[in-house]
Amino acid sequence: MSESHTPVFRRAVVALAGEPGDERIVRLVSELARPIHGELAAVHVVEVGWSLPLDADIAGRSEEVQRILDNAESVAEESKVRLESVLLQARDVGAALVDEATERQADLLVLGLPYRKRFGGDFAIGRTIPYVLKNAPCAVWVVREPIPEDQP
Amino acid sequence: MIGGRQPLRGRKLGDRRVRVERPHAAYFRWTGKGVMTAKAAASTPTTGAGRAWAAVRRFFLGRPLASVEELGERLSKKKALAIFSSDSISSSAYATDEILRVLVLGGVAALAFGLEVSIAIAVLLIAVAISYRQVCLAYPTGGGSYSVSKRNFGRNVSLIAASALLIDYVMTVAVSTTSAVEQITSAVPALADQRVLIGVAAIALITIGNLRGLREAGNIFAIPTYVFIGSSLLMIAIGTYRIVIGGERDEFQPELLDQVGAIPEQVGVLLLLRAFAAGAVALTGTEAIATGVPAFQPPESKNAATTLAVMAALLGTLFVGITFLAVNFGITQLEFPETQTVISQVARRVYGDGSIPFYLFQSFTALLLFLAANTGFNALPRLLAILAGDSHMPRQFGLRGDRLAFSYGIVVLAVVASALIVFFNGETYLLIPLYAVGVFIDFTISQAGMIRHWLRERPPGWQRRLAINAFGCALTAIVAVVVTVAKAPTSLIVLVLIPSLVMLMLTIRRQYEKQAQELHVREDVVFGGAHREQRAVLPVNGINRAVVQAVTFARTIADDVRAVYITEDADEGEAMRRRWERQLPGVPLVIVESPYRAIVEPFVAYLDVLAETWPPDREAPVTIVVLPEYVAKRWWDRVLYNQTAKRLKAAIVGRENTVIADVPYRRDH
Repeated sequence: MSESHTPVFRRAVVALAGEPGDERIVRLVSELARPIHGELAAVHVVEVGWSLPLDADIAGRSEEVQRILDNAESVAEESKVRLESVLLQARDVGAALVDEATERQADLLVLGLPYRKRFGGDFAIGRTIPYVLKNAPCAVWVVREPIPEDQP
Repeated sequence: MIGGRQPLRGRKLGDRRVRVERPHAAYFRWTGKGVMTAKAAASTPTTGAGRAWAAVRRFFLGRPLASVEELGERLSKKKALAIFSSDSISSSAYATDEILRVLVLGGVAALAFGLEVSIAIAVLLIAVAISYRQVCLAYPTGGGSYSVSKRNFGRNVSLIAASALLIDYVMTVAVSTTSAVEQITSAVPALADQRVLIGVAAIALITIGNLRGLREAGNIFAIPTYVFIGSSLLMIAIGTYRIVIGGERDEFQPELLDQVGAIPEQVGVLLLLRAFAAGAVALTGTEAIATGVPAFQPPESKNAATTLAVMAALLGTLFVGITFLAVNFGITQLEFPETQTVISQVARRVYGDGSIPFYLFQSFTALLLFLAANTGFNALPRLLAILAGDSHMPRQFGLRGDRLAFSYGIVVLAVVASALIVFFNGETYLLIPLYAVGVFIDFTISQAGMIRHWLRERPPGWQRRLAINAFGCALTAIVAVVVTVAKAPTSLIVLVLIPSLVMLMLTIRRQYEKQAQELHVREDVVFGGAHREQRAVLPVNGINRAVVQAVTFARTIADDVRAVYITEDADEGEAMRRRWERQLPGVPLVIVESPYRAIVEPFVAYLDVLAETWPPDREAPVTIVVLPEYVAKRWWDRVLYNQTAKRLKAAIVGRENTVIADVPYRRDH
């Protein structure tokens, strides 16, 4: 009964993969956050290989990486929602997302699942989503990209 | 956080991550490859005085709006009707007075022609409105008759139209404001001596309203306009019912002529023509919508054309309706024992003397007249912006302020209109002769432009459209001549002002063209790296941190670096040289003894000597004058420092082959 008054989330972390679907996810979560005044953090993780130190100057100088987060901020702003953008470097994307969500005491973690057109088209779930589903202490939403109409 | 990267531990051993700082994010946003967009924080003043001024502006004008918010500032048809037509619609409150004021000279017989004259003006209004409707559709970028004449007649004629419009808009503000103030002082005679102050204060308030942006201005002005329209239409409906169905009619009183104090005239074509010209003041403001097309919500042209048609229909209905009631109730304006306008007498007759509806109607009529000034505030800054875009006005007029309003145009209009009110002591009748002359010149040019447009474009149905514009052109040309003659000699000031403004605008354009020619870069030229030699010259006042920093900088930009020390004391100069050679070896110091104690002139003379001693067979080098400057922490300290550097800069700036480089030294560095 009282659940109908409980907000869907209070603090959400949105994982940005730098894919075209990022905008859709940020817009979706922003629209949900607006009426409940939910806090949003958009996180983009740059994976650093073992050949480089973890704190190597990689992401900070990349205009492309910065643009991923700036676009997310812009989309949230259109929905009149404030979004904190977080840029991380880590060895493993999944672990970094879970740790960030944990530190922020987020009650929702949202990830996108892009559709790959190559090899006949498929949803490549990869290793990040299973890791997050298994380890995240909060609720996890995986937003699947729609299948393009030109696909069989 | 080290170097913008903060190491963080994870839940599991070995899970580490690094949070990377994004210093640009507070001020900028990457929006495309190599493209950054500034956020509001990047436009925030950094100095204390700047922040204080920004706070004052925010208090009066509201928060700054981004350009992307402009679409939200566009006007709906309802708001646009209120904003752009307050001038037009309000003229129905006094246009009948102007007709009857002339006809009364012909006696009761002439007054009976009031309705016919108003219908003739309504026909003129229809012709002008149809013409401007076509302007809205044909020229969506706005500018009204300026755009039309520029396209069809070229620059000079278009500038005549623009000048006439500029005068008209300024007069709209001045006349509407003084008329409204007169309504107030009529109600409260004790305020009569304060009319100039009230008028200027009213303009200041309207200015602030407009500087806040269009949407707010629309809200301020919409309600009084619509209440006036509604109550006027109701008054006409009730009055017409009582005349047509109830048979309630009165004749004009023959003793009216006693009030005129002029020699009665025969009812003839000339008198009717003068009445027509006097009543044609009702058409002022019709141009505003065509000028303000870009302010409408999309589709701009269609919405503007529709709004113009509605405005003309309302104005025609109100004007003819009020005149119909006045003629049938035997009403004309009274000067004694107190001034009573035609519309107030009609309202008194219809709503009842002393009734609440009568006082409400009068209040809103006065308020509307007050707010009619806003038409000028909406249209003139836009026209100035268009003129600035064409290099006929200073480019500042094309810049929009914090609230997307053309702030410079708004402020200039407010200042000029206020000056007129002060100069003419807030008397409407002194301002009126300057009014309406410009607008009919403008109508004529615009409609002549449309004739040329149809002859050139020849779209389907062009003959009919051409006939409408030709009819309107002929009518407005006649009215322009009649109005000018009837209101002479004051109206002749406009005929002097228009060519003066045209000359001014042509001069500004010539100046911009000259500058553009001087700065022009051919598109086929590829520019390589620097090929001229550079040398740095530093005027120094001793050895201190600012000088050392400037010398270090100068060494990075030129191989040939020399310092110049100007002194009136030879011994001091020698001491300085010894210290300089010890502490700054490799940088030659030139001691210039100045027995006349001057500093700037000997330094400039030294630069002249340097230039003359350069081998004439080699390309002259770029001489960079490096000025060490001490930056004071507080603004009031600044007066104590760098005064000589400022004089040096003033003396050197613009010098051939010379560049000035300021090297500021901050105490906290």
